[in-house]
Amino acid sequence: MKIIIKFFAIALLISFVACKKDAKDPEPEPTPVTPAPTTGTLKLEFEHMVDTLPLDFVQSYVNANLDTFKISTLKYYISNVVLTKTDNSTFVEANSYHLVDVASPVSTILNIANVPVGSYKSLSFTLGVDSARNNSGAQTGDLDPAKGMFWTWTSGYIMFKLEGSSPQSGSTGKGLTYHIGGFGGVNKTQRNFNFNFASTTSNITGSNSPMIHLSVDLNEFFKNPTTINVATQFFQMSTGVNAKTYADNYADMISFEHVHN
Amino acid sequence: MNKFAIIIFLFGFLIFASCKVDPKIIEPLPSDNLVEVVPLGWPQPIYSFSVNTISEDKFVLGRALFYDPILSEDSTISCGSCHQQFVAFAHADHNVSHGIYDRVGTRNSPGLFNLTWHPLFMHDGGVNHIEVQPLAPISNTLEMGANINPVIVKLQASSKYRNMFLKAFGTEVVSSQNMFRAMTQFMGLMYSYNSKFDLYKRRENNVELSDAELRGYNLFLTNCNTCHKEPLFSDFDFRSNGLAVNPLVNDIGREHITNSPQDKYKFKTPSLRNIAKTAPYMHDGRFNTLQQCLDHYANVKPNLINLDPLLLNNGLPLSSQDKQDIIAFLNTLTDYKFLADKRFADPNY
Ligand code: HEC
Ligand code: HEC
Repeated sequence: MKIIIKFFAIALLISFVACKKDAKDPEPEPTPVTPAPTTGTLKLEFEHMVDTLPLDFVQSYVNANLDTFKISTLKYYISNVVLTKTDNSTFVEANSYHLVDVASPVSTILNIANVPVGSYKSLSFTLGVDSARNNSGAQTGDLDPAKGMFWTWTSGYIMFKLEGSSPQSGSTGKGLTYHIGGFGGVNKTQRNFNFNFASTTSNITGSNSPMIHLSVDLNEFFKNPTTINVATQFFQMSTGVNAKTYADNYADMISFEHVHN
Repeated sequence: MNKFAIIIFLFGFLIFASCKVDPKIIEPLPSDNLVEVVPLGWPQPIYSFSVNTISEDKFVLGRALFYDPILSEDSTISCGSCHQQFVAFAHADHNVSHGIYDRVGTRNSPGLFNLTWHPLFMHDGGVNHIEVQPLAPISNTLEMGANINPVIVKLQASSKYRNMFLKAFGTEVVSSQNMFRAMTQFMGLMYSYNSKFDLYKRRENNVELSDAELRGYNLFLTNCNTCHKEPLFSDFDFRSNGLAVNPLVNDIGREHITNSPQDKYKFKTPSLRNIAKTAPYMHDGRFNTLQQCLDHYANVKPNLINLDPLLLNNGLPLSSQDKQDIIAFLNTLTDYKFLADKRFADPNY
């Protein structure tokens, strides 16, 4: 009998040692008092405009070249969101890739979760997807190529996609097609944005969910520094110097409006 | 004492069952184990299976997808239609690709093997990662014509695939990432390194090359190896080997991707492994025989745009005997074991 007991003991020991990574620590006792939250969620709202008019897919607008146009698709990536506190410490969102698709209103408000409690004075992000993720094979979430924002014949994300129509368009179908991409080199099309909240701060307490309002002016896509003439510039679906022209235009497309705490 | 034995047995079993075996160890398939291979003397591959860990279930799923026309818009064409095992996964007798509704493409379908060493894919290098490679034919309106979303819907609706995804990835939910990773397992494990030439190099089974083959090998080292570099038989760079431009197609090659005029008419150096099997040849399949390829190299027009400097002197100085010898050597690069490897065969036959 003693042998059997000894054997039990040894076997138990072995099974413990052999499966260390499977062994679960005992569950911690639930604490009766909920501690004060240490993080909260911040919302970034993108409001789309053409000059002073709110964007919809029905109205006609007029661009800097005085071409009349309508928009039917507007999608772009916002990535690598960073928030800076008043003490200059930063919060870098993990796995920070968001596809804004105007056809899907929920996607125009980004929920930035797990932001440490504190007061924040500035925000930065990139329009587009960094080069690393363009080179890393099959991705999930908003970077899933099934989202229709990945070029298949020349691998890489479409950073910004605007489609619509214009009677002045040089295309036979009067369409406007701008798929802007290119992730490396001199013609890369990602653009960085930095916003100081001026005299205000965005205060994360853990129980509120503050919102930062940003406005996106699509007329900026058609001007500054290059005024787009849709009679000749109605189609872009590849990387290169032309794509860069559009990216330089959208580099000042987003501006900071205000903070709601 | 009997009880004692049972207890020992039970404990042994418990220990076993409580530690799940590392997923890398897998059941042998018909002819071989599924493992990452770096043949002797080869460089490290570019794609490693460190994230996409190898399992038989993923491989089997990838193979099923590769051979299933469900991936094309009208469910008529599979990857295997244009990439056939008996010709090292090139397309036999087709100079340019033949897709859905009999649409004809502009490029020749290359053989598929040793893909994890390729830094870029396609004749123009437009695809930068093996995992996103399947997107290109699926979305090409001349090839399979489908968008990836309807394909995912079709796979999700199939109980066979739900079950296979469950086994491979622990979820019935079909995602493009899991689909592509499974296909990468199948394609990425298509290693070809057992040709007569490989056995000779590794001094296996007392394999010797004939005099003609050896002469051919030496000529190859002098004339071809800079571009078709051993052991993969490609430098994976983009070059113009002096083919006259076909004005009807005017395929600008690499420039299409880089927008750089220096890349006009440059194409990826193809591997010459299994070359005796992958006719027709060149990006547009313009040559049907190796003899025609060598005749081309022996007479290259020097005035072509971006012609590779190695070929500026009217091509390569090859006598007709030299050409015969080089062809004899190229014939030693066929890996019959690979062509017949049941693991890579269409499971429906
Ligand atoms: C209609 C014929 C056709 C079908 C179907 C097809 N391919 Fe291809 N494949 C080609 C052609 C042609 C090329 C070369 C294309 C180019 O360079 O533009 C190619 C290239 C490739 C390459 C790159 C090889 C290299 O050396 O760069 C891979 C990998 C590949 N195909 C895998 C697949 C997979 C996986 C599928 C199924 C999802 C598939 N193919 C379906 C014709 C086809
Ligand atoms: C300057 C670099 C270079 C040299 C030297 C060179 N090649 Fe090539 N070779 C290429 C390139 C690039 C291609 C692809 C061209 C295309 O698809 O348009 C190619 C294609 C081929 C093909 C067709 C492969 C296929 O799968 O379609 C064969 C066969 C070939 N070469 C054999 C040779 C032989 C044999 C030699 C030496 C006598 C040689 N090459 C020398 C660059 C070179």
